[in-house]
Amino acid sequence: MAAKGGHTQGGRARDGHAQGGRGRPRSGTWRTHGVSVQGYRHRRNGTPCQDAWDSAVWSAGDSGPAGPVLVLAVADGAGSRPRSQEGAQLAARLATEHFGRAAAGRRVEVGDAVHDLLHSAYQEVTGDFLLAVKETGDPAEDFATTLTVVVITPDWLGHLSVGDGLVFVRAGADQDGEALFHLLPQADAASEYSNETVFLTSRHAGRWVRTDCVADPGIDAVVLSTDGLTQAALTRSRTPNASFLSAVLGPLEAPEAEPGADEAELAELLRSDRLSAVNADDKTLLRAVRI
Amino acid sequence: MTHEPPPPTAVPQYADFDFELDNNAQRLPLVLCLDNSRSMEGRPIQALNDALREWTRELHDDVNLSYSVEVAVITFGDQSVTAYRGAEPLYPGMNLSPFVPAHAFTPPTLAANGVTLMTEAVELAMHIVAARKTELRKLGLQYYRPQICLVTDGLPTDGTGHYTTAWQRIVPVLAEEQRARRFRLYAIGVGGITERGQAVLSAFAPTFNAQLQGFPFRELLQMMSASAAAEQKGEGEEAFEKIFHQFRTQRPAWEA
Repeated sequence: MAAKGGHTQGGRARDGHAQGGRGRPRSGTWRTHGVSVQGYRHRRNGTPCQDAWDSAVWSAGDSGPAGPVLVLAVADGAGSRPRSQEGAQLAARLATEHFGRAAAGRRVEVGDAVHDLLHSAYQEVTGDFLLAVKETGDPAEDFATTLTVVVITPDWLGHLSVGDGLVFVRAGADQDGEALFHLLPQADAASEYSNETVFLTSRHAGRWVRTDCVADPGIDAVVLSTDGLTQAALTRSRTPNASFLSAVLGPLEAPEAEPGADEAELAELLRSDRLSAVNADDKTLLRAVRI
Repeated sequence: MTHEPPPPTAVPQYADFDFELDNNAQRLPLVLCLDNSRSMEGRPIQALNDALREWTRELHDDVNLSYSVEVAVITFGDQSVTAYRGAEPLYPGMNLSPFVPAHAFTPPTLAANGVTLMTEAVELAMHIVAARKTELRKLGLQYYRPQICLVTDGLPTDGTGHYTTAWQRIVPVLAEEQRARRFRLYAIGVGGITERGQAVLSAFAPTFNAQLQGFPFRELLQMMSASAAAEQKGEGEEAFEKIFHQFRTQRPAWEA
């Protein structure tokens, strides 16, 4: 039975002992940290942040992969729904639980089997999600939220997304030795308007689920975000903004870095006028660096 | 279009970010389609000019709306329909977008004169919204549902100042455009608008039409800002209807 070695909301990885730093040999251990902040519009209206994130490390089971499994999840509660903050928190927590258990429980080969595993875990998440919200007596739509999940095993990286969350991976380098970032494919847009998307509770949400499987041992950093950071993390041509991504990963990469040591500064950046000017939405950033 | 960098990042550790941000904010195109025909002469047009200046100051003070909202002004009066790019009128042949980011927007000073070419003004508003969406997509910019705000105190006329039923030709077009959610249309009757005039506005905008006493332009423009903010929050239709209902009854829901 796989045991969940979860990261706390403070983001400290229980297994983060290895010496890190870019350019050094990397182990299979990841240092992670996440933060969610109220968007400018919610601050002005006194509405709480409706984003959430969670991460967890799962030890591999007897039939599982060759090492631990890391699960990262971000969720963006619908601005129009009264209990979407709870929905986002619930979705993120259920994701790290079900995706972690599934990936740590048995070794799965790269390819279709990974997609199947991701879809199966998604079904478990939505099943538990709908069951939990039904018990409140309120409509499921009141808890509407997006969900973006990344599962990292020793063999592959899996990605599942409902809605408009973003996932970037860092792998390889250009001719000048600068690290390259890659945006994982997003689900098709739900409409032409940027504030409209698909939620776990949307009718036919399953049709909008996007999954990907990446087998690249060179991946040494992953960033998940809600759509509140679209303008910061992407250029107009929708390529990764390497300067932003490198900057937010930097504090996690120093040797002996304490995940979360820069949390106050990072939160201040996410709340800054510069980022508020281009996007008034809540913002969540979940970072992971292989050390 | 003026591009100014957004405010600087105040966090030293993150001060040297190289964002591609001459302004890549999510955009919210907003068209003010304003009656400046002869019946608006005197105090009403003065009140409108004052309200536009005050509203502009308020928009500038909102860190996000100032970069997100793009304002275009269309007037109908003075024998023609005129699109303004900020304070400057655009003339046929000038291949310029009338939309200006709110932080760079300066309102025109309007004078009242002439006839009420309302139908042609609404057609132009629809045209510039569609064109702006195409531009935004080409620029790789995301956008919210545009807003068009039509304000009048009279009946649509032809170029000679006589009432015309030509407005009926755009009713099915507007119905289809609103059904397809291509923009949100607000149609506001002010001053001494007649029941007949108000019926035109109801046909144009079945959901968001109002007949208001006097010339409460300031409240009207604040309502447009409140709707823009609701759009950014991803609010549902009921939130917009609530904002509009409370505007109609002159209680500022956006201050609640």
